[in-house]
This record gives sequence, structure tokens and C-alpha cells, in this order.
Amino acid sequence: MDYFVLVIAAIFVNNIVLAQYLGNCPFVGTSKESSVAMGMGLAVVFVATLAAVITWCVQKFLLAPNNLGYLQTITFILVIAALVQFVEMFLKKVIPPLYKSLGIFLPLITTNCAVLGIAIICQREEFTLIETILFSIASGVGFLLALVVLASIRERLDLAHVPVSLKGTPLALILAGLMSLAFFAFKGMAS
Amino acid sequence: MSRLWKEFSKGLWKDLPPFKLVLGLCPVLAVTKTADNGLGMGLAVIFVLTMSNMLVSMIRKLIPTKVRIACFIVVAASLVVCVELLMQAYAYPLYLQLGIFVPLIVVNCIILGRAEAFASKNPVYLAVADGLGMGIGFTISLTFLGSIRELFGYGTLFGTQIMGDWFQPVTFMVEAPGAFVCLGLILAGMNALTNWQRKSKGLEAIEGPVHDCKTCGMCATKPGA
Amino acid sequence: MREMLRMIFVLSLICGLSGLTLATVRQATSERIEEQVMTFVQGPALEQIFSDHDNNPVKDRRIFNLPNGPVTVFPALKDGKLTGVAIETFGKGYGGNIGVMVGFTTDGSKLEGIGITTMKETPGLGARLVEPQYRDQFKGHSTDKIALKKQGGDIAAISGATISSTGSVAAVNDALKIFNQIKDKLPTAWGS
Repeated sequence: MDYFVLVIAAIFVNNIVLAQYLGNCPFVGTSKESSVAMGMGLAVVFVATLAAVITWCVQKFLLAPNNLGYLQTITFILVIAALVQFVEMFLKKVIPPLYKSLGIFLPLITTNCAVLGIAIICQREEFTLIETILFSIASGVGFLLALVVLASIRERLDLAHVPVSLKGTPLALILAGLMSLAFFAFKGMAS
Repeated sequence: MSRLWKEFSKGLWKDLPPFKLVLGLCPVLAVTKTADNGLGMGLAVIFVLTMSNMLVSMIRKLIPTKVRIACFIVVAASLVVCVELLMQAYAYPLYLQLGIFVPLIVVNCIILGRAEAFASKNPVYLAVADGLGMGIGFTISLTFLGSIRELFGYGTLFGTQIMGDWFQPVTFMVEAPGAFVCLGLILAGMNALTNWQRKSKGLEAIEGPVHDCKTCGMCATKPGA
Repeated sequence: MREMLRMIFVLSLICGLSGLTLATVRQATSERIEEQVMTFVQGPALEQIFSDHDNNPVKDRRIFNLPNGPVTVFPALKDGKLTGVAIETFGKGYGGNIGVMVGFTTDGSKLEGIGITTMKETPGLGARLVEPQYRDQFKGHSTDKIALKKQGGDIAAISGATISSTGSVAAVNDALKIFNQIKDKLPTAWGS
């Protein structure tokens, strides 16, 4: 039951983009077409989960026992950068079809703050390994959901007449604000 | 000298991040609930950006091209850890306020973007000017956005009551939706200003700066490329 | 091959330098950080407990070595005289550990009160630990029997938050045990 609450909270109530402000650059940047949004979202789910699990182990078995907690940031970002490289090489060699669909998004992910953010949140909340896995998958799915929904709206808006100054990023941000308002309702339900 | 001024001042208006150079959006949205927080975050970014630009420029001839991104990340991350420690020691309440966004400075596209696009190609004094200018521009933008949100959301500015008793705080402004809408409107305002200037010169109106990940420079530079 | 070696060399050089710098900065700031954390985490709880004192309990804290490990004790002084001490202990809550600062009068007959330092309890339920309604039950409470009503004591648990209430009461009793071990050393510890 607790796990269920954790997952629902991470997807809807504390949505990683719309409530926690993480991963906004790719959120605005890759939401012009829903197919691209789908690819980016899936790549984030995949990498964020892997990264959270690996950084959890690094923290637990390497940093914490040696009293090196203050090196968390630098260690995590290096682990994530290396992981992304590794995943890219692995997919290219072993699962080429998956590489074809996700490959172009992988380099974007190193600097996606959602990935590092999820890893750090798991540490700050002192999650167990199972909680970490569930939380990172759920957060990734939350990102995917928000991204795909925004992309679908933007695709439709392409046909509408919009003042030229509002076109592009400003409109996307205002849309995101309205979506965020809708997600706000979940917060009311939770309390 | 004029070159130095040019590199410094471009961050203050022409390429003002994040309003004109649309990148590093997460902290912009997250920590601008109040003007104080925006200012604090901005100062941390000035420190990291200027130092990282300086260091990257100093070692730019040493770094092999293939591992340059890895080197930039190490430099930036070390500086961020320094900021984390210093902030805990000298501004602990601010550290608690900014929370997770202090370590996340390391993935702020501005840092790696400037390292890749500017510092790794220019001498130290220009790199410092660029970092300082961009950092100050970023700070001004964050403080500006923070002031607007704080003023309408709490009726205060830097913690001092501004609005009278008649004022009903608009809580929307300090919550997540307000952050998105506010930033969107400011960007639209910036575009409108540019278009108004263009119109007076007889030019056609254009769409504002697009935020796509390519502008942040980092994404096009995958390690090993 | 040469390029490879150069890559490895440069990368390890940068990492080494960064490690060295960070260790230095860490060394230089660690004491101040500890002080700051105490002031902003333990400080407010201490202020809730001690109503009448003229010192800074965080600054004047002492560490006592006990068989089970060191314990930090925060004193309240008035005109240089010790009026009470506080000890932080942890009880098991619903969302992780609950940090409880427990204040005692110098002779140990009564509690000065309690304050919550850290907790992650459910808002509206366990998080009501921090509300005066619950906390004030401990103010001036005798140290003879501190227990929830269900266990035959007189502390009213927070409705719907039995785990949080039990955890906090357990923490208070732990603090009492520690207090009894250091009781005799207290009068001389702060110089008066």
C-alpha cells in the first residue's frame, strides 16, 4: 500500500516537471512533436532508473562508509555521464533497433537535471533500494506523461493563429503553467 | 578593451540569460518564489560560472579534445561542491531554501554551455568577462522574476511588506503554475519589445528565441564526439 | 597510444587537483557547518524548551563520553548558573526517525519540555508532534513515569498517529536514561 502511494505521488501529486521544476529544458525543448516527446520520455525513464539504482549503491557502499558524503554531487554527475556513455555503446552494439529510436536522445540526458535530481531526491529522502527503484520509474513516467501531453497540445496549436511574440517558448511555458494548475488538483486530493 | 566590454556586456542585455538565451530553466522556475532566493541562487551561479570559465580557459590547451566534456564536468562539479560547502557554512538558511537546486547547478546548461561555446576557445580575461557578464545577467533576471512573484504572491519584497492591507496575496504566483506562466509572459514581453524595435526599423516581426536543446551547446557535444 | 596516455594523465591530474581542493575546503568549513546546522536545526527546539536563559545552548554544548558512545549535552545558563540541560534522542516514527530534544531541570526531577528537531511524519497526523498541544504535555512533567495513556501514563497520544506518539515518548525515556548516567557530572561541567 505504501509503495502504491509512493508511485501515485511521484507520477501525479509531485510530478517531477510540473510540481518539482525538474527537467524543464528538455520539457520545453523536445515537446514540439509527440513522437520526439515519446522517445525522449522513454529514454529518461530508462536512464533515470538505472542512474538512481547505481548512485544509490555508490552512496551506500562507497561514500557513506568512508564519510565522503560531501562528494555526492561530483560523484553522481560523473557516474551519470559515464552511465549514459555506456548505455549508448551498449545499445548500439546489442539492441540496434532500440538505439535507433532512443539513441539521439541519450547525449541530451547527461545534463537533464531530472536524472541527477531524482538520484539526489532518493538520497535526501533516505529511500530503501526498492523505494528508489519504484520512485525513479514513477518519476520518469511522470516526466513522460507531462512531456507527451504538452507535445500533443502544441501540435494542435500549430494550426492556430497566435500573436507572433507569443509563439514558441513563451506559449509552451504558459501551457505548462496551465497543465501544472491542473496537476495541482491532485495535491488537493492527497491531503 | 572594447572587446572585453563587449564580452562582458552581452550577458546583460543582448544574450541575457535566461530571457534571451533561453537555457537553465529549472532553477529559474524553482527558486524564484522570493527575490531573496533568486538573488542567492544568482550569486552562486556567478561564482561557479566565472570560476569555471576561468579554469577551463586556463587549461584549454592542455585538455585533449576527446575528453574535454568530462574535464568540464569535473571542473564545474568541483566548484559546485565548493559552493555547497561554503553556503552551508555561511548561509545555512539559504542552503535549506534552495535545497536540491544547489547541487543541480552542475547540470545548469549555462555552465557547461559557456565552457564549451566560449571559455574553451578564448583567453582567460575574455572568459572571465563572459562568465561575469552572463552570471550577473542571470542574477538580475532571477531577482527580477523573484521580485514579481514575491510582490504579487506575498505582497512583500525582499521580505519587507510593500502592499497595503487591501492587498489579497495571489497564491497562484508563488506556486508552480505561477512560475511557468510568469516566465512565459516575460519571454513574450521580451519578444514583443524586440519586434516593436524591429518594426520601427521597418523590419518584419520574428518569432522569439527558441528554446531547443541545441542552444545550450552541451547537447550537441556528446562526450567523445 | 600517446594520445590515450595523455588523456588518462590529464583527466587524473584534474581529478586529483579537484579532490585535493575539495578536501581542503571541507576541512576548513566542517567546524562552521556543524555549528550552523546545530543553530538552525537544534537551536529552535532548544528555544522552545528553555524559556528563561541568557546563554547560547548550542555554543556552550559539551560532549560527555558514555559507555555507549559520546553524547552532546546542551545547557541552559542564567547568570552563569546551570538551570537545565537538554539531550537529543531519536525515536522510531512512521516516516523514519523522529529527533526529539528533551530538556531536564538540573536535579532531574522534572522535564523542562521537549522540542522536535527532525521528522518526516505525515502532515496533519504524525506531524502534529510539533504542535504545542502535544509538546506542552511534557512541560514540567515529573520524570517518574512518562508514558502514553494506553500504557498507563498520562500523555495523550495524537489521534491517528500512534506510531509517532509512541516513538516520541520512547525517545524521551531514552534521554532520561542518558541523563541519569551523566547527572552527577553536570553541576561541575559548566564551571559553577
